[in-house]
Amino acid sequence: MQDVTFSIAAGEVFAFLGPNGAGKTTTIKMSAGLVRPDSGSVCIGGYDLWRDHDRAARQMGAVLEGSRNLYWRMTVMENLLYWGTLRGMSTKLAKRRAGDLLERVGLTERARSTVQTLSRGMQQKVALCQALMHGPRLLLLDEPTLGLDYEAGEAIKQMVRGLAQDGTAILLTTHQLDVAQQLSDRLAIIRQGQLVLQGGTADLLQQFSHPVFAIVAASPWTAEILERVRHAAGEVRVIDSVSLVYTPNSEDMAGVYDLIASLAPHPILRVQRHQADLAEVFQKVVSEGASA
Amino acid sequence: MSGIVTAEWRRSLILAVRYPMETISTMLTMFLVFAGLFYGSSYITSSPIGAGRLATIVVGYTIWMTMMSATSDMGWSVQNEAQNGTLEQVMMAPRAAVWVFLVRAVMAIVVFLIPLVVVVLALIAVTGVTFDWRAAALAPFGMTLVTAWGMGLLVAAIALIFKRVGQVLNIVQFLLLFVIMVPIGRQPALLWHGVAMVLPFTAQVALLRQLLQSVGPGSGSLWFEAVFNMALWMAAGILGFIGADRLARWRGILGHY
Repeated sequence: MQDVTFSIAAGEVFAFLGPNGAGKTTTIKMSAGLVRPDSGSVCIGGYDLWRDHDRAARQMGAVLEGSRNLYWRMTVMENLLYWGTLRGMSTKLAKRRAGDLLERVGLTERARSTVQTLSRGMQQKVALCQALMHGPRLLLLDEPTLGLDYEAGEAIKQMVRGLAQDGTAILLTTHQLDVAQQLSDRLAIIRQGQLVLQGGTADLLQQFSHPVFAIVAASPWTAEILERVRHAAGEVRVIDSVSLVYTPNSEDMAGVYDLIASLAPHPILRVQRHQADLAEVFQKVVSEGASA
Repeated sequence: MSGIVTAEWRRSLILAVRYPMETISTMLTMFLVFAGLFYGSSYITSSPIGAGRLATIVVGYTIWMTMMSATSDMGWSVQNEAQNGTLEQVMMAPRAAVWVFLVRAVMAIVVFLIPLVVVVLALIAVTGVTFDWRAAALAPFGMTLVTAWGMGLLVAAIALIFKRVGQVLNIVQFLLLFVIMVPIGRQPALLWHGVAMVLPFTAQVALLRQLLQSVGPGSGSLWFEAVFNMALWMAAGILGFIGADRLARWRGILGHY
């Protein structure tokens, strides 16, 4: 890792992305105090993690990748009480907090089940509750939806959104770019241990989107239409019998309106401006070395 | 610290009660070992064993088992946590991990001693002999235990780095046997006192032997050696564990197995 600097504000979901071996998990472990960097610092809630470990650690909870966050031979409630009291909560407070969290994730009825009898999705929900027991200001999530079915994945995403709304700062690493796009307010992409891109998710998606328009007709273009669009200001590429792509000469919409006017009265099914998704941004940054 | 004690006490008790067959089989094994030692030695020597001999056998074996348990618990705990994947969560606790594992080891001994007392009581009931209890022996026994925890922390330190401690514990077991056999109580030469200052358990066991055999309250120098040795090994254990913890975080190998 080299020159990796970022900050996460309260209530913000920060997605940390990168290919395998880029340093995502190392970064999250450095943030959790499990890996010590050669130089630099990690500051959580105003406390330096390496100089004031105990205070910093109280501000942080983590769900690490896989099934590595709970004791399988203990019940859900026993696990939550264990992790809560280990982090300094009184038994009474831990019981109340555990009850609230289990109610929130819909697992109140499974409080007395041993973790090994739960489904993967339920285990992940309990792991999240475990990390939240002491009310951390920062939550570290390493691949929280990996291996979950659709329903469980959605439930976890819903929880993450709710936590962010409640003011928790969330550091999220995932290979599931759609999940990162849906959840993150800001993101960073790391490649070979170095940050290559960082910014607001919506801004970055906008920056990587191009003023290119796809126009799809309800029926095949006629020869007359194709002849007309050839004279449009900008570049027109016919993709197939019903689709064409238009790149105007300027950023303004005048050329688009002129082109659509020239298509009349042919029935148009859809006009869509190119909108980059995170997979496209990731591909460009990681494979092609693009930057914002 | 009270949070760690509460958490670890509850955890130790839960795991002991959750799988009663494991606890029962442990108690049964203890009982059979004690009974084997008692009746076996009685048969070989062709003489009835009195209360004194039984006390020696039971206390000796109890100390041996307690020491082995105290020495190995933390190492196994680190190895199992690494294997199951929960080690990193424990290491994220807002307390130095050394205290978590130390408290865990103390709780493990408490949970270990409860069935042991039941077994000893059962043995007394079966054999009909009684013990001559000596409260004075509790102090050297406690010192032996603290020394064992110090060693246990060193084993756990090795486990933090290398994760597997089975072979290390095999060696430790024979080393323990050796250091317990050092006849310091009978050869109070300067050399032996020097050895007792450094070798784990030697002074404590010699003191315990003196107290149990009614030789006397134990010599002042032996008490000093026992206390010094206990402090030495506990300090070595704590520093060794903290050092290994730092090294593991530097190398980023806490989560490896």
